[in-house]
Amino acid sequence: MSAAQGHLVLSGIAKSYGAFAALKGIDLEIRNQEFFALLGPSGSGKTTTLRVIAGLETPDAGSFHLDGVDVSRASPAQRNVAMVFQNYALYPHMTVAENIGFPLKMERLAKAEIAVLVRQAAQRVKIDHLLDRRPGQLSGGQQQRCALARAVVRKPRLFLLDEPLSNLDAQLRLETRIELKRLHAALGVTTIYVTHDQEEAMTLADRMAIFRDGRIVQVGTPDEVFNTPQSIDVAGFIGSPPMNLIPARVEDGRLRVGEASIELRARGVPAGEVILGIRPSHIGLSDAGLPAKLLLSENLGESMLLNADFGGQLVKIRLPEVKHLAVGTQLHLVFDPAQIHLFDPQSRRRLGGASPNV
Amino acid sequence: MATNATISPRRIALYLAAAIVVAIWAFPILWAIVVSLKSESEVLAYPPRVIFTPTLANYRDALFGGFSILPSFFTSFIVSAATTVLTIVFAVPAAYAFARLRLPGKRAIGFYTLVTQMIPPVGLVIPYFLILSKIGWLDSYQGMTTVFLTFSLPFAIWLMVSYMEDIPREMEEAAFLDKASRLQTLWHVILPQVRGGIAVTVIFVFLNAWNEFLFAVQLGGNKVRPVTVAMYGFVSVEQTLWAKLAAAALIAMLPVVVIGIAAQRQIVKGLTVGAVKGGGRR
Repeated sequence: MSAAQGHLVLSGIAKSYGAFAALKGIDLEIRNQEFFALLGPSGSGKTTTLRVIAGLETPDAGSFHLDGVDVSRASPAQRNVAMVFQNYALYPHMTVAENIGFPLKMERLAKAEIAVLVRQAAQRVKIDHLLDRRPGQLSGGQQQRCALARAVVRKPRLFLLDEPLSNLDAQLRLETRIELKRLHAALGVTTIYVTHDQEEAMTLADRMAIFRDGRIVQVGTPDEVFNTPQSIDVAGFIGSPPMNLIPARVEDGRLRVGEASIELRARGVPAGEVILGIRPSHIGLSDAGLPAKLLLSENLGESMLLNADFGGQLVKIRLPEVKHLAVGTQLHLVFDPAQIHLFDPQSRRRLGGASPNV
Repeated sequence: MATNATISPRRIALYLAAAIVVAIWAFPILWAIVVSLKSESEVLAYPPRVIFTPTLANYRDALFGGFSILPSFFTSFIVSAATTVLTIVFAVPAAYAFARLRLPGKRAIGFYTLVTQMIPPVGLVIPYFLILSKIGWLDSYQGMTTVFLTFSLPFAIWLMVSYMEDIPREMEEAAFLDKASRLQTLWHVILPQVRGGIAVTVIFVFLNAWNEFLFAVQLGGNKVRPVTVAMYGFVSVEQTLWAKLAAAALIAMLPVVVIGIAAQRQIVKGLTVGAVKGGGRR
């Protein structure tokens, strides 16, 4: 089999189910060998996009090119892609070995050859001691590995993973995450990964697309998405907890939040209403900052997360050290002016340059 | 198991209810067994005798006597088996199509299939008789089988659709991605998982065909006479041979019992094979 490529371009993909528009024009390019995450809340269109790529859904409009060939109308088999389903979709009546070997059987490989490849794939995900079991006799993690082995047993052009970790417990999820990354590095197959868990996307992906309401709101590396969110939607979604978003006003070259006035470094931001975005870790406490009242403090072990009332707005502040403060304590907040993001409340787009306050 | 020190009243009530149901169900069969072991004169003795010398003469007569039901037994078997095989062959793909494919008029066809079940069979006897006599299929295996198919197919399709719909779609999609064609998917992925459903359908269809009397008596004849009709030979204007009738009835029950036991294993297997997420069994 020729070397797997796996460069794909989606242009103007739209898909509706009755009155519900699941995808409203998706444009996306995913490069060869990339680990690419589709991230978004449920119902945002990420799984539908994956299913369009797999060939399980036919888009109403738009085209999909795989390695330069238009495969918009091609069947899943013709596309040569492998997918791991959220519920694994293992064949319950077949043994693990038969499950893993099924795609090879469909390609009419010789039995002896299938046996060798199945064993290799099973070894790769460390389930070669379970080959004679049936899926019903496996734990959730083992089932997940079986589904992975079924995908890696052949050389597909794309790996499609639909929330593959969501049915695992927290501990196993962390372990499997590392293994997925290693598997991707070893196989070098373009991998598209659907998740609603931003931490998974941030840690696994080379690049990601953030979905919202059937549209992509931003494409970028984890750094780009985290440091320069292009819209309020991304800012309010990425980070845990996400960015504080506070209505503010630009006046005389300064930012005003209620009575408080904050230094504005960004140039060229016209006077008027804006949304101020700042991450909880970029707000500090001092003796002479902006007044706020402590509502609740959460001890995270290594740090503290404070919830404060800042001029009628709930603001989250992450302190790098544990500090016990009584509820109702008067706080004085210091916003790091270099880390302030501004957004247009109407268009919800970012204002003032690509990175904070350039 | 719960300790038997305290048996809850609920449990007692449950056992009592079960005992009543079993008694009602079992009585006619027990009665038939007892009658089949008596001589004809003992059957009619009043008060009924509890102590008697059992005899197998009735079985011998029913099997090898003047009114032997053996030929009819085979006739029934051929008609029922043919009906069952043909029903499965047509119902399984049809049910798959109803469950999965996007077809024009699917709802209408599905509704029509169900409606055919609402027509009282008696209303169909004469039309079927006329049709079969026009095409010369009266008293023929193909005629009787075709008529039986008209009842069994809609029922079997309707039953199989529910089994097919229980299979998660992802299972099929996974097969498509694994480069299986639709037919290969049906054969390798769907069929093995609806084995329990097929077993249930086989039982119902075979049972219905085996037990059928109304159409068998009207559309059959000397050549094709199912066992239900042949048994009727023990009932005549002058007398009813109860003991032989009971023996014949018990013999006629045998295949049904055998198939039931054989298929039961499949049904249980079908239930325990495990769903997509593979339950807690480890």
